[in-house]
Amino acid sequence: MAEAVLPDQPLIAGHKTPAQISAEISAPLGQRPNRTWWLLLAISGSALGLGLLAIGYELFTGIGTWGLNRTVGWGFDITNFVFWVGIGHAGTLISAVLFIFRQSWRTSLNRAAEAMTLFAVMCAGIFPLIHMGRPWLAYWMFPYPNVRGSLWINFRSPLVWDFFAISTYFTISAVFWFVGLIPDLATLRDRTAPGLRQRIYSFLSLGWDGSYRTWHRYEAVYLLLAGLATPLVVSVHTIVSTDFATAVLPGWHTTILPPYFVCGAIFSGMSMVLALMLVTRGALGLRDYIQQRHIDAMSWFILGTSGVVLLAYVTELFTAFYTGNPYEAFVFKNRALGPLGWSYWIMVCCNGLVPQLLWFRGVRHRPAAVFAVTIAVNIGMWFERFVIIVTSLHRDFLPSSWASYQPTLIEGLTMLGTFGLFFTAFLIFCRLVPVIAIAEVKQAVVAEQGGAAGGH
Amino acid sequence: MSHDSQPHDHGTPEPLPRRDFLKVAGFSTAAGLALAGCGRQRTAGEPALPYAEQPEGVIGGRPVWYASTCAGCGERCGLLAKCVDGRPIKLEGNPAHPLNRGRLCAVGQAQVLGVYDSQRLAQPQIGGQAASWEQVDQTVLGALTAARDQRRAVRLLTDTRSGPTSRWAMQQFCAAWGDCQVIVSDALSHSAVGEAHLQTHGVRAWPRLHLARATVVVGVESDFLGSGVAPVEQAADWSRARDLAAPDGRYLYHFQAEARLSLTGAKADQRLPLRPGAAAAWLQDLLNRVARRLGAAQQEATPKPDPRLDELADRLVQARSSSVVLCGLNDLTCQLLANGLNLLLGSYGSLLDLNQSSFQRLTDDAAVVALREELAAGQVGVLLLAGVNPLADLPDGAAWDKLLRAVPLTVQIGERVDETSAACRVLAPEPHFLEAWGDAEPVNGVVSVQQPVIQPRTAARSLVESLSVWSNRPQGGEALVQTAWQAAVWSRRTTDQGWPAFWDQALANGCVEVRPVALPSSVPQALNVAPPPVDTAPLELVLYAKVGQLDGRHAWNPWLQELPDPISKVSWDNYAALAPETAAELHLLEGDEVELTAGGARLKLPVLLQTGQAPGTVAVALGYGRAASRRFAAIGPRWIGAHPSVNDQGLVGGNAAPLRRWADGRLLDWAPVTLQATGRRLELARAQTQESQVLPAHLAPAGDPRREIVQATTLAAFRHNPQAGAEPLHHGPSELWGREHTYPGHRWTMVIDLNACTGCSACVLACQVENNIPVVGRDEVRRRREMHWLRLDRYLDPTSAGLDVAFQPMLCHHCDNAPCEVVCPVLATVHSAEGLNQQVYNRCVGTRYCANNCPYKVRRFNWFNYPHDDPDAELVLNPDVTVRTRGVMEKCTFCVQRLEAAKAEAARTGQPLRDADVQPACAQSCPAGAIWFGDRNDPNSAVARALADPRRYRVLEELGVEPAVNYLRVVRNAPAAAEESHHG
Repeated sequence: MAEAVLPDQPLIAGHKTPAQISAEISAPLGQRPNRTWWLLLAISGSALGLGLLAIGYELFTGIGTWGLNRTVGWGFDITNFVFWVGIGHAGTLISAVLFIFRQSWRTSLNRAAEAMTLFAVMCAGIFPLIHMGRPWLAYWMFPYPNVRGSLWINFRSPLVWDFFAISTYFTISAVFWFVGLIPDLATLRDRTAPGLRQRIYSFLSLGWDGSYRTWHRYEAVYLLLAGLATPLVVSVHTIVSTDFATAVLPGWHTTILPPYFVCGAIFSGMSMVLALMLVTRGALGLRDYIQQRHIDAMSWFILGTSGVVLLAYVTELFTAFYTGNPYEAFVFKNRALGPLGWSYWIMVCCNGLVPQLLWFRGVRHRPAAVFAVTIAVNIGMWFERFVIIVTSLHRDFLPSSWASYQPTLIEGLTMLGTFGLFFTAFLIFCRLVPVIAIAEVKQAVVAEQGGAAGGH
Repeated sequence: MSHDSQPHDHGTPEPLPRRDFLKVAGFSTAAGLALAGCGRQRTAGEPALPYAEQPEGVIGGRPVWYASTCAGCGERCGLLAKCVDGRPIKLEGNPAHPLNRGRLCAVGQAQVLGVYDSQRLAQPQIGGQAASWEQVDQTVLGALTAARDQRRAVRLLTDTRSGPTSRWAMQQFCAAWGDCQVIVSDALSHSAVGEAHLQTHGVRAWPRLHLARATVVVGVESDFLGSGVAPVEQAADWSRARDLAAPDGRYLYHFQAEARLSLTGAKADQRLPLRPGAAAAWLQDLLNRVARRLGAAQQEATPKPDPRLDELADRLVQARSSSVVLCGLNDLTCQLLANGLNLLLGSYGSLLDLNQSSFQRLTDDAAVVALREELAAGQVGVLLLAGVNPLADLPDGAAWDKLLRAVPLTVQIGERVDETSAACRVLAPEPHFLEAWGDAEPVNGVVSVQQPVIQPRTAARSLVESLSVWSNRPQGGEALVQTAWQAAVWSRRTTDQGWPAFWDQALANGCVEVRPVALPSSVPQALNVAPPPVDTAPLELVLYAKVGQLDGRHAWNPWLQELPDPISKVSWDNYAALAPETAAELHLLEGDEVELTAGGARLKLPVLLQTGQAPGTVAVALGYGRAASRRFAAIGPRWIGAHPSVNDQGLVGGNAAPLRRWADGRLLDWAPVTLQATGRRLELARAQTQESQVLPAHLAPAGDPRREIVQATTLAAFRHNPQAGAEPLHHGPSELWGREHTYPGHRWTMVIDLNACTGCSACVLACQVENNIPVVGRDEVRRRREMHWLRLDRYLDPTSAGLDVAFQPMLCHHCDNAPCEVVCPVLATVHSAEGLNQQVYNRCVGTRYCANNCPYKVRRFNWFNYPHDDPDAELVLNPDVTVRTRGVMEKCTFCVQRLEAAKAEAARTGQPLRDADVQPACAQSCPAGAIWFGDRNDPNSAVARALADPRRYRVLEELGVEPAVNYLRVVRNAPAAAEESHHG
């Protein structure tokens, strides 16, 4: 597939030697951070700080500091949770699935994408915790042995499934990311002057010696982990979608949700990866590594998943009216034409219409335009979760309980805080480990050059 | 039981510091308090000790019930006070009482909180300074003597106090001081009813209404089911008159002509929007038509054909002697016309009882006007005010301020400092009615004992005791009651019981029925009256009383402030209600603040669009803007986004009393009015914003414009097919997994008859008191976070014939396949073997998934901690129900604590559980008897029989959640024209 899609051009531009690659990618790690980095860190750090204040206030005072009510029990909290889990999807997809499908162009993206996954899942994980009325009892979600009689968790509850799905996903993603880092950590170890930094790199590279046997073991473990991680790409968001699909609420109670959620997650995840990569490549001067072909490939991905998401929207509408369930039909009419209709139309425009711009070469070749599209997609996908959660809840079965939802400042700051956490973590990540997998790029370049040589 | 010392004998106790008070409460409230009158008042500093010997009949934690009498309003229902460890914590109706028959309204049930109100007047004051009772007595007796010597009048202005003891004490007092008169003034006056009967029947009396026997009732601005004189009795009778199983096939037809949509109008089969200014003409028209049909026409003019009125006249005439016209306007012409109609229809003697006449609202407006003139002329030497608040209730409150200050001595006898207090020299605290001896005779011949159940928490003295001191014949409360009863009640006994047995039985039952006092009357005769010309003001103001607030005397009560008005669903405010079309004409939107101007008085209020309101009228509730509501400035959770529950003036709502007017010596509650938008906008706290089951047109699915949440049919359709009105299921009931639960023992089930439910909200308050449900304040209600476990849904559905109003108590449905149970990750909500859906508070982590997944949205989340705003009020908490903390979900439990107590009692006595033993608070309180609860596994239970009713249906049946709450369809006695039902 990729061969058909991608133009036949080198993975890395500039005919670099492996040594050059190592030097260029690890260059930022050896230097003092520049002013831009500090500025970005200040902004994201402030956002994180505000978020922490908001969360602290909420934990101290009560969930009442959010705009929820007796009808709308979830709002920004679960919207943000699903949004961040979705963002966290692309990492595993790029590293595991594309690895198994031998899409070697992924090598320029997978490290950052995986890191992004971890940070996004961390952001996501905050919400199930703080949205609880009594978060200090969150450990009750564990099926731990206890002396409270036969007290156990409810395995029928999608929230329990969720808990396992997210924690498994985070664990596997973290391990996968770390295993992929080992050869690069060894490279850094070897390039760093003796000192604490070198000792840390040395410890983390687990005695990597670059021998044939080490490489063999490494390749086997990586492939196995990729195989393990692949089903998770589908399972995590499938299970997140069961939070809604297993409910009785019209608008939630629908079997289309699992594929719809998975596609939406890939859609938003890919957009976020692309957005970040565009920024990183500009900021760190990695244009030779992240090239137009990568942007094109990601754009095709975004276009494809956008199509699926749009199809899901249409299917949902069709089902709602075709089944003749009046509650369901009402929910969908209300989504589009009710008091929160604006959020529905933001969702449709940003997810269904804006990505169509990527059909045009002129758009794809302008990084700023592509960046704008990816941001629109992320806004759209955030609103998709908002629409699913809030517009289904706020007008359900009994007209007497219809209500609306207005987020408070505290909720807004909490959301801002997770963006702060995400970008702060990403900025620190850029300073500590290579943002591009050096070993994999070198492998790909060597294989490419070798293959080309063999061909001639 | 002897009253060995009067509370005030101990001098002036220091106000008890709160911590000390809680210590007292913790250790020894039971001591001496359980049997009130037996103990003596603890003075400050005296140690609080536990029992050395356990008093007989008192077991820690076991409730003791005492019969007493409610003084929440003039109806004076009999009640049973549930006392736990010496503290009254809940009031329920006394089943032995012939008026309320075991039921109690929301206002009555809310009274228990007053016992623990820390802002009651704690001790007497003279000129604003704390004083002792000795000083007060000295001052009052001195002033009384001076008044007698100076030949100045002594006047007692009081609300209706019809108990034999009150009457006796007032007689003694008046006899002692020469020119002394008692003037009865209730803020909600029915003076014209008495005056009209004086003219037509020769007796100033208010007939008692026996609605249960009625087949046609026409109400004209008469809210007899809501804020009327005896709503508890009338609601029960009204639903009995609409018993579909009545053997003779009788079924009440109820027509209501009114300006605002009242609770009574909401239940009417036909409503006619009618401005109060046009009521007299309308009544005259109806009278003419009825008279013509009965051959008693006095006027030759043929009335204009009006099919609706003609049909009504036909119905009234056909149902002669079981039809009645009730007018709620305090206007003599209207009342005379109503009396004329009722005389023609033969309602007196059958539905209107003048022998057992009502003593519940004996207001004499003319006497109040006369008093005002006396005061202005400086003829009054001593004025005692008891239970009245003229400065806040009367339109000329400001003038009363000056008049009161000019009297040599004004004594206010009351529980709280109010608007009038500042104008009075002496403030004499009155105890809560649960703290003092007294009695009531709500209707002639039904005498009810008011027995104290707790020692006074303040240095208060009841009016009768004070009057006895001020008559120089001091007596304790119990002795006074006994003396008065021997003279005025025992003498009217219908049995030959001796006094001790008579008294003991009356005390145990809480009430006694005796021979009515014969009132002299003449041969009734209808009078010819000429109705005044119809008022043509473009906009007419209608002032009314809300079900929970009445005249505003309970404005201090946070439960009642938070109780949503059953019609508007607004809590914590009054407002200017306008018909949507009128508002559109005036270019006003909901929430726009307007300034109302009537008769020179102005009032700023937000606009509320009220479907069902007569066009061209503005309705404003009385009883708001009270000084007592200042205390709510800080009620509710405090956080950065919180807004206060009070307005800019620091009050809840605005006082509309200045907009009332005096006309011909009567207090009128309607007036021409003008509106002026101020440009401000205010958001009202509405517990329900979608008012109709009819969906917004642009959102309704094709062919499904309305949701049949409240199902209804017409009488004709029901007689034809008892299952008429059933909504066809959208999906067949399907059981994917089969029955998961078996119910080998009990299986608790509830059936709610929506046809009987009047929307009075007694159940909402009963639930709140029983289950320690917190008050959250205006801002939280506005955010749709009220905590009521049982809410009263109200639907206003426009139909071709007008407006269908339906009420639906909505509570946890205890589903067999409960959607909440499966989704809880920590199993905090589980199913019991008896069909209860149980919420385990200490297991709940608060994910709120259960609430999201509840199709009925009856789960309530503790968004914050909600302590009582008044720390003393924590004493009213029911010790059998856990107080929930923040972060925990809660909901209706079917009053599991009451079920378990009943089961334990049955196990102890070895008797099987009977229906009557298991009553959740809502079912117990319901005046209309609309809620049945019981064990459906018991085929003889009332609930099992109710389940077989053809009107039974379940809300959202098609979801397959198998709810345990069932409803019985509404059956409207709609006229033929509107008889085509929604579903054929």
